[in-house]
Amino acid sequence: MAFSAAISPRWSSFQTWGAILIAPYVLVFLVFVIYPVSYGLWLARNPDSYRTLFEDPVFLPTVMNTLVFLLVAVNVKFALALFLSGFFVHERRWIRWLSVIFIIPWAVPAIPTIFSIRFMLNPEWGLVNSLIFRLFQVDGPNWLTNPPLAMMMAMIVHIWKALPFWTLILVAGRLAIPREHYEAASVDGATSWQKFKFVTWPSIRTLYLTSTLLSLIWTLGDFNSVYLLTGGQPADKTHVLATLGIRYIRLDQLDHAMATIVVALPFVLPLVWFMMRRLSGDEQKTS
Amino acid sequence: MALRLTALVLFAALALPAAAQESIVVYWTKGFYPQEDKALDEMVAKYEKKTGVKVELSRYSPQESVPKAVAALDAGTPPDVAYGDVFDFQVAGKWAAEGRLEDLSDILTPMKASFLPVTLETAYLLNEKTGKRGYYAFPMKRQTMHIQYWKDMLSEAGFKDGDIPKAWNAYWDFWCSKAQAGYRKKTSKRIYSVGAPMGVDSSDAFYSILTFMDAYNVKVVDDNGKLLVDRPEVKKGLVATVKDYAHTVDAGCTPPSAVNWKDPDNNVAFHNKQIMMTHNATISIASKWLDDSNNDKLTPEQRAEAKKNYSELIATSAFPLKPDGKPMQYRSAVKVGVVFANAKNKKRAKEFVQFAMQDENLIPYVEGALGRWYPVTKAGASRPFWTEDPHRKIVHEQFSAGTVPFEFTKNYKFTILNNENVWAKAVNRVVVDKWTPEKAVDEMIARIKQVAG
Repeated sequence: MAFSAAISPRWSSFQTWGAILIAPYVLVFLVFVIYPVSYGLWLARNPDSYRTLFEDPVFLPTVMNTLVFLLVAVNVKFALALFLSGFFVHERRWIRWLSVIFIIPWAVPAIPTIFSIRFMLNPEWGLVNSLIFRLFQVDGPNWLTNPPLAMMMAMIVHIWKALPFWTLILVAGRLAIPREHYEAASVDGATSWQKFKFVTWPSIRTLYLTSTLLSLIWTLGDFNSVYLLTGGQPADKTHVLATLGIRYIRLDQLDHAMATIVVALPFVLPLVWFMMRRLSGDEQKTS
Repeated sequence: MALRLTALVLFAALALPAAAQESIVVYWTKGFYPQEDKALDEMVAKYEKKTGVKVELSRYSPQESVPKAVAALDAGTPPDVAYGDVFDFQVAGKWAAEGRLEDLSDILTPMKASFLPVTLETAYLLNEKTGKRGYYAFPMKRQTMHIQYWKDMLSEAGFKDGDIPKAWNAYWDFWCSKAQAGYRKKTSKRIYSVGAPMGVDSSDAFYSILTFMDAYNVKVVDDNGKLLVDRPEVKKGLVATVKDYAHTVDAGCTPPSAVNWKDPDNNVAFHNKQIMMTHNATISIASKWLDDSNNDKLTPEQRAEAKKNYSELIATSAFPLKPDGKPMQYRSAVKVGVVFANAKNKKRAKEFVQFAMQDENLIPYVEGALGRWYPVTKAGASRPFWTEDPHRKIVHEQFSAGTVPFEFTKNYKFTILNNENVWAKAVNRVVVDKWTPEKAVDEMIARIKQVAG
């Protein structure tokens, strides 16, 4: 009591202990969130950085790449995850074993696996083109030296790496649907498509959309899939905003790197705001 | 009480000498070979012994050296001395212009007579804050372009060294049409003849392309840093350069993946015999085998193979004669280190630089690179080390014929253009996007004017 009174005569013991217990979190938040973000914004304060950023011929194609990457990779990934989640909910022993194998790409470390894919896709001596040449006596495609193809391969790597995780999430969502709903639908003579349309989708729609939003945010920051596979090459044509910042840091243009992040905020903040609103709405419903 | 007293005495005994010892923080690029690092360690140990100053040495890879220095500068805690293999290409001119570097004229001017031409001059940089030039960097070593090829692959293709033409077009045609075709026919292996680095993320690429530009006598900037790119003859030369450099991919003699190559990739392709020859900005390709031949960790068979590769199978050569029939004059990059203006211990930093620049310290460090780097001082270049070995002899001859500096020594904004690699981008436009060389050069010139105009 004397201790709390010493801190503030108006604070109750409960409030004092609350403040003490929350202090480490506040400290960590200040040091690791507020300070770096503020410092980043401070570094990106010069309007000239944005002028030269927009003048850089690499910048606008990078923004376009980022948009295409987000729209295509995230949607394809979720369409596949939705489809595969319907498969993995089946209770068969071999499907369970298959699901263990399926999860491997998500579980293994990104750097060696993506580098391995990079070596496999080397146009001259990579495994894929060597096989194509051996089987068909023709040169295979320039997987990583043709910009659209390289961008597509980066998206495929992203999907390959993240698909197991999101499939698991949707499997969990499907497993939460009461079995009676499907039994009732069967009694009514519903087809598989009708069961999906009237039972499954309404039940997991919220989860699907929330996961998609979360994935959009994460994908916007996906550095590995692009940088480790293409390095932004050829000719800086496969950069996304996540890799462009690193390019500027390497070029001793820290202000440009930070400006790149600030430019990405109009993409990120609405997504975060929308997702938080959805989550808080869900919380209200469940409470 | 006794325990407290003992603790206090122990603390004093341990802490006071540590607090009393003066120190300097040094960032240095990690060597390519163990001998380089060893020579640096010995130099540091000698300096510490002589002065009593502790050197806190951190080594970074060439790629890391700029980001680490930038991060330290940004945090307000720069090292006292920093040396990076790519500082000259990427940051030294810019840092000097921004007033971030300490003027080293007081230690370098007295040593001026010991330097070879086109070495110390490249460190005479402009500080835009004061409007004055000064020696804002210290030169350590140099590099230039060489050609390396597999003699045994050439032999399997049905040719010998003497068959390689000396004229520019005939030279590249020989590798492209004769050597590659001969080797493929004999071995049925899908190898390529010319390893021409083209990656935008590669200093080898811009060094090679700029060497081609030199072959076409193109000067894009005058001695005062003024751009010359609007001159018709400059544009014509740039178009010829880009067309010529990109040609080997179109002709099927350079691997298509060369547009994605980073600096080590042409070395790797060469070592794996996936290419017959490559141009490289040092003789690191051959020197790798020399290093392996003395590597205790390898088996005797591996060492013997490495020795054979170095002494018998790999050749180092100069470029062919220029398209106008005259010999090439090579551009050399002078590798520099710096002392930062807001370093904590500038006095000792300068003292360390001065110590490092002494022949007895600099020569072992440069020679530790097995010929990869060439000296900046007369004493260093006059040693038998450079004439007794067939690879290093070629390097020595190339440098001895006289070199020219890079554009960024006249206009530091060319460091930005090199970082962006506008040169490789133009080549990529032709190779990847199938633009005409004229259109690619127009884009390149526009960017050069935008950045450095």
